[in-house]
Amino acid sequence: MELRRPQRSLGTLASALLVGVLGLGLSCNLVSGAAAVLEGKAEGGAARPLTFERDIRPILKHHCVHCHGEGDKLKGALDVRLRRFLVEPHGKDGSMAVIPGKPQESELLSLVREGEMPPKGKKLTALEIATLERWIGEGAVTARPEPTDVPKVYLTEEDREYWAFQPIQRPVIPSLEGFDKLKNPVDRFIGARLREVGVEFNPEASRATLIRRVAFDLTGLTPTQEQVLEFEADTAPDAYERMVERFLASPHYGERWARHWLDIAGYADSDGYNDADTVRPWAYHYRDYVIRSLNADKPMNRFIQEQLAGDEMVTGPLKNLSQADVDRLAATGFLRMVPDGTAGTPASEQTTARNAVIAETLKVVSTSLLGMSVGCAQCHDHKHDPIPQRDYYQIRAIFEPGFDTEHWRNASARQVSLMTEAERTQSAAIEEEAKLIDARRKKREEELIDLVLGWELKAKPEEVRELLRLAYRTPLKERTPEQSKLLKEHPTVNQLSGSSLYLYDRTYNTKHEAELKKIADEAAEVRKKKPVEIFLPVFNEAPVAIKTPPSTALFHRGDPMNPREKVEPGELSILAAFQPASFVPERTLPSGTGRRTVFAQYLTSGRHPLVSRVLVNRVWHHLFGRGIVATPADFGRQGERPSHPELLDWLASEFVERGWSLKELHRLMMGSATYKQSALRSAEKDGKDPDNHLFARAIVRRMDAEALRDSMLLVSGKLNRKMFGAPVPVMLDVDGQVVLGVDTTDTAGRPSGKVVPLNGEEYRRSLYVQMRRSRPLGMLETFDLPKMEPNCEARSASTVAPQSLSLMNSQFSLSQSRLLAERVSREAGDESEARVRMAWRLVLVRDATEDEVQKSVVFLKSQTATLRAALEKPVAVSSSAEKPAAAAKASEPLHPEIAALATLCQALFSSNGFLYVD
Amino acid sequence: MNQNGCHSRRHFLQRSAFCLGGLGALSLLEQDGLLAKPVDFQSQHFDMLPKVPGVRPRARAMISMFMQGGPSQIDLFEPKPELDKRNGQKFVGDIKYDDAAHASTTLMASPWKFQKHGQCGTEVSELLPHFSQIVDEVTLLRGMQTGVSNHGQGIYAMQTGGILAGRPTIGSWLSYALGSETRDLPAYVALTDPRGLPVLGVANWTQGWLPSLYQGTAVRSQEPRMPNLDPAPHLKGEAQGRYLDFLGGLNAEHLSAHPGETDLEARIASYELAGRMQLAAKEALDISGESEATKKLYGIDNPVSAEFGTRCLIARRLVERGVRFVQLFTANQTWDHHKGIIGGLPAACQYVDQGAAALVLDLKQRGLLDSTVVHWGGEMGRLPVIQYDGGRDVVGRDHNTYGFSMWVAGGGFKAGLAYGETDEFGHKAVKDIVTHRDYHATLLHLFGFDHTKLTFQRNGVPMALTDNQGGRIVQEILA
Repeated sequence: MELRRPQRSLGTLASALLVGVLGLGLSCNLVSGAAAVLEGKAEGGAARPLTFERDIRPILKHHCVHCHGEGDKLKGALDVRLRRFLVEPHGKDGSMAVIPGKPQESELLSLVREGEMPPKGKKLTALEIATLERWIGEGAVTARPEPTDVPKVYLTEEDREYWAFQPIQRPVIPSLEGFDKLKNPVDRFIGARLREVGVEFNPEASRATLIRRVAFDLTGLTPTQEQVLEFEADTAPDAYERMVERFLASPHYGERWARHWLDIAGYADSDGYNDADTVRPWAYHYRDYVIRSLNADKPMNRFIQEQLAGDEMVTGPLKNLSQADVDRLAATGFLRMVPDGTAGTPASEQTTARNAVIAETLKVVSTSLLGMSVGCAQCHDHKHDPIPQRDYYQIRAIFEPGFDTEHWRNASARQVSLMTEAERTQSAAIEEEAKLIDARRKKREEELIDLVLGWELKAKPEEVRELLRLAYRTPLKERTPEQSKLLKEHPTVNQLSGSSLYLYDRTYNTKHEAELKKIADEAAEVRKKKPVEIFLPVFNEAPVAIKTPPSTALFHRGDPMNPREKVEPGELSILAAFQPASFVPERTLPSGTGRRTVFAQYLTSGRHPLVSRVLVNRVWHHLFGRGIVATPADFGRQGERPSHPELLDWLASEFVERGWSLKELHRLMMGSATYKQSALRSAEKDGKDPDNHLFARAIVRRMDAEALRDSMLLVSGKLNRKMFGAPVPVMLDVDGQVVLGVDTTDTAGRPSGKVVPLNGEEYRRSLYVQMRRSRPLGMLETFDLPKMEPNCEARSASTVAPQSLSLMNSQFSLSQSRLLAERVSREAGDESEARVRMAWRLVLVRDATEDEVQKSVVFLKSQTATLRAALEKPVAVSSSAEKPAAAAKASEPLHPEIAALATLCQALFSSNGFLYVD
Repeated sequence: MNQNGCHSRRHFLQRSAFCLGGLGALSLLEQDGLLAKPVDFQSQHFDMLPKVPGVRPRARAMISMFMQGGPSQIDLFEPKPELDKRNGQKFVGDIKYDDAAHASTTLMASPWKFQKHGQCGTEVSELLPHFSQIVDEVTLLRGMQTGVSNHGQGIYAMQTGGILAGRPTIGSWLSYALGSETRDLPAYVALTDPRGLPVLGVANWTQGWLPSLYQGTAVRSQEPRMPNLDPAPHLKGEAQGRYLDFLGGLNAEHLSAHPGETDLEARIASYELAGRMQLAAKEALDISGESEATKKLYGIDNPVSAEFGTRCLIARRLVERGVRFVQLFTANQTWDHHKGIIGGLPAACQYVDQGAAALVLDLKQRGLLDSTVVHWGGEMGRLPVIQYDGGRDVVGRDHNTYGFSMWVAGGGFKAGLAYGETDEFGHKAVKDIVTHRDYHATLLHLFGFDHTKLTFQRNGVPMALTDNQGGRIVQEILA
């Protein structure tokens, strides 16, 4: 099968562009209709007749088929799945929905036009109605004879023709006159399109711009002075390539690209789903696995195989594991990322909660690897893409043995201990020791209860004392009504117990609570000596599921309470030609049914039409600011069409040929003239290609939340480069803002005032900040940190006033600015000019102009004078309860000159020159 | 479909609202969208645009004075002659104690006198002389009941409808349902007590699982009043002005080197909006322009009542400027009089009584009371028996969640009504009981919402303030 390629003529290109532009501007529903009509006109030059399969069925699928064809019952006895049914008499009155050639007499048209149909939900657009009208007017034709029966899985030629389902071709690299200078194939493909429109590449960006762009793209950090100087000093012709290599070799590379992958995998350090949002203390193993894999440039096919089926690669028992096996198991954390509320959900809601875990996981798998919104087929056939409901459940069946709703395992049952046998023995011995102390405490508690009881009784009238004692000592069930009544009259005796003993301390001025706590602390101290048990969350199949794999049924309307026919494991039917005959492996595996192993191998065979396209597009998206397919998680009809389909295919095949190496892909893309262009706009290009669909310039991008925070830390000199391990905790401060810190609120939720020092952890990269779903770190959330519900397909970059306020007034912005000022004054000496020049280079990665230096010096002078006066004024100290947590830390007195320099640094941090990457 | 909307247009709009760690005003991107829109709770698009509820609303804003700890209904709002008679006798019924070690079954009559007030003749304790003057404007609810266990659960019940953490507060629901009528101020403001935070701290103004733009914004009574809104003390005024000017110069030069980048222009504009918001907040929180008569009305001339009175006046100013929901808190557990009630209760009353009453009077004289619900109350009441039975200086009362009083005014509540009662000892509500769910259903009704239909989809389940756990619209207390 051949890819449908636009012919290289101006007319075709213009219409393709038009579709692209419309696609961006219009809502998704409009696009399908609009594109259909426009394409119809484009291909033949003159308008071709509309056909049912190509033009009408998508509209009916979207609006009508839910009631008229899909369910058990046909509303009004009308089935719209085939054209044939539309022109047949239906219902009691035997009316016809469509009378070919007579749109005005066709019931279908009048009903949608009047808005009577569809009765609920979105009405048809004017364009869709016009398309229907034209089709009926033209005779309501089909492209070919229709099948006699509606097949269970009905996919038409038009469905199969869709670009994303075609085999990946290896297109010939365009060769045109003047192209010999363009060595990089990427530039040939991009250049060919530019030439068609009569546009040139932008010139190469300056060195300063390039290193900043590369550093940001590969490490998520602004470049350091040393890195910039090294690049500037390198006069070799391949200085640029060598600079790229240095960043590729940085350990921060893995952190940056892990962040991208963790977005689409939906990484979080908490369960979500329920209000408790329980912390997942061991989720970080997966995060660390991803960082390590990317830094090692683990081939992506291997990377995917491990994440989908690493557990099935481990053959032995899950004890005394080797590092390689730990890695394989950690990889399956990919399938354990989504919100999971099953641990805290009552039995009556378990079915829903378990189903949600599976559905969300399928969403993550399909958006990350297939680039298809398969989740839309959970309840009914996909309205836009050829994904029958059945397909959804086929894919589910691949994962069913691992989930096994009948024998559900909570998170605690889905983790493997990394403790060795020797450590376990040691731990048991310590526990025995601690239990002895527990027993001592219990005994002492009994004695104290006895003591307090005696005192309480002494205060009672003599005649009731012994009766009360007897009643108290009589077990609840054996008490006589008289005894119960007596006790009720004397609540202070009645309620005396181990748990209320502390309350009597106040009565008798005793310290029983403290005494008992001391013993309890002793036990805790002993238990602390135990070797720490580390757990590894794992997705695998329990023996019962391997032996008898649970079946998967299609859920009617997606309702897990309403299972219908059983389905076997499989992938999208539309890709039947690529699929293995069976998802059951030929050889049985000891550790699983092997369904996921077969699936993973199939996805990474290099022949799957979606996987490698989706992966290279995602990388392009991150490097160029927009994907070749602008909707990186949706290659379906609701998504965008590729702007450069041949380039996408060439990259996908090249990627596979070069051994699925991500770093190779970076070298290829970043070595291109396309990547190295400047971002400067011109009126000419904006006129021809306003949204830069042709990649005729670089795109100006705002730093994402993490890059912004991390770069500020780097520039101020505070960045803690520690990698891996438990996340930096977050807590709520007195204002309800999420800040870094150990939660020390008391049981009543009030701040205890206790501050647990973070010892530099607070300066670690944002990737290591605890990603608690309900508590996104305030500073990051302001700059568009996504919510993981369940994952993030692509970041957004908003521009709102809270971001400005954060940069102007937040504790983080102020403290980083001050730290930078201190660094600059330390390193650049006392001269204002030198300080200014250094601040410029550190923050903006360029030299300040003379004009800028002079203005800054004037600024510093007047700002110092103002601040000298302001800092001399005593500042009213608010009460401790009111003080923001961060400010509670004693800060050293501020020197006016440093304070002034800090505001200059803050202005640089707040400026567009820093916030945006060219 | 992408439910978290991290890249969709929907997200773009959600993000454009003012949601900085809880500030809830509007963004510059919505400046032209101030026309109210009908509510569509099926959509997953979240913003702060003002919305029109389905049913004709009576109220459009609310001020709640949350009296944490459990004000003693027996000593403030509901006289109990039978209890007076049996003072010192043993109580024989079932009682749930919080602190059994200091419990007793000895009945204690209120040490304070009650008197009829206003045309309605509602009896009020001598501890509330200012409230006594406004009884004709309020509905006093004497049969309140949550039946839950302790402070935490009681607060959650009253504030969020459920007894567990993590649910959205009333203010978040109203912001979600109605949006904001101001774009320079948060929609939902929590005015905290300078003496300390209430129990449960920030959970009192959490949005729970609603989108974070519906979180309440804590506004302190002293600067810095809002997170990130005020400059650091030494940068205030000239220093920040010069920083912004310098930044403006940097950005202008940067823009000239990047012609046509509209996002860069938008960011420059967003600094201007930030400046406007600083001004608007400063103006709204500054009471210096209020007349002496007004300040006197709120008791600001009296050191005992000045602090709370000031916050009441600020609450009125905020509502005047379009803020949807304001809640005032008292420090810690001001009203939790386990011990020493004879000294403690009068002091607690003097702190809040004048400001609270003034708020009702002032809203009325400005024509705002009809559209503004005013609420005064806590999460529980107190027991009729003595706790710490050791003489006048130490006696107190333990928790009681089965019967307590609170009052509401304005926004469609009846004026001059006392509704409901507890048993002859003031222990359990027995007549015209209003639970927290009834209260919430009635509130939402006054704002034009059916409490079963104002929902938020969570894990595919529609969640509501009352969560289908019943909830009666108490028609008898509606004007």
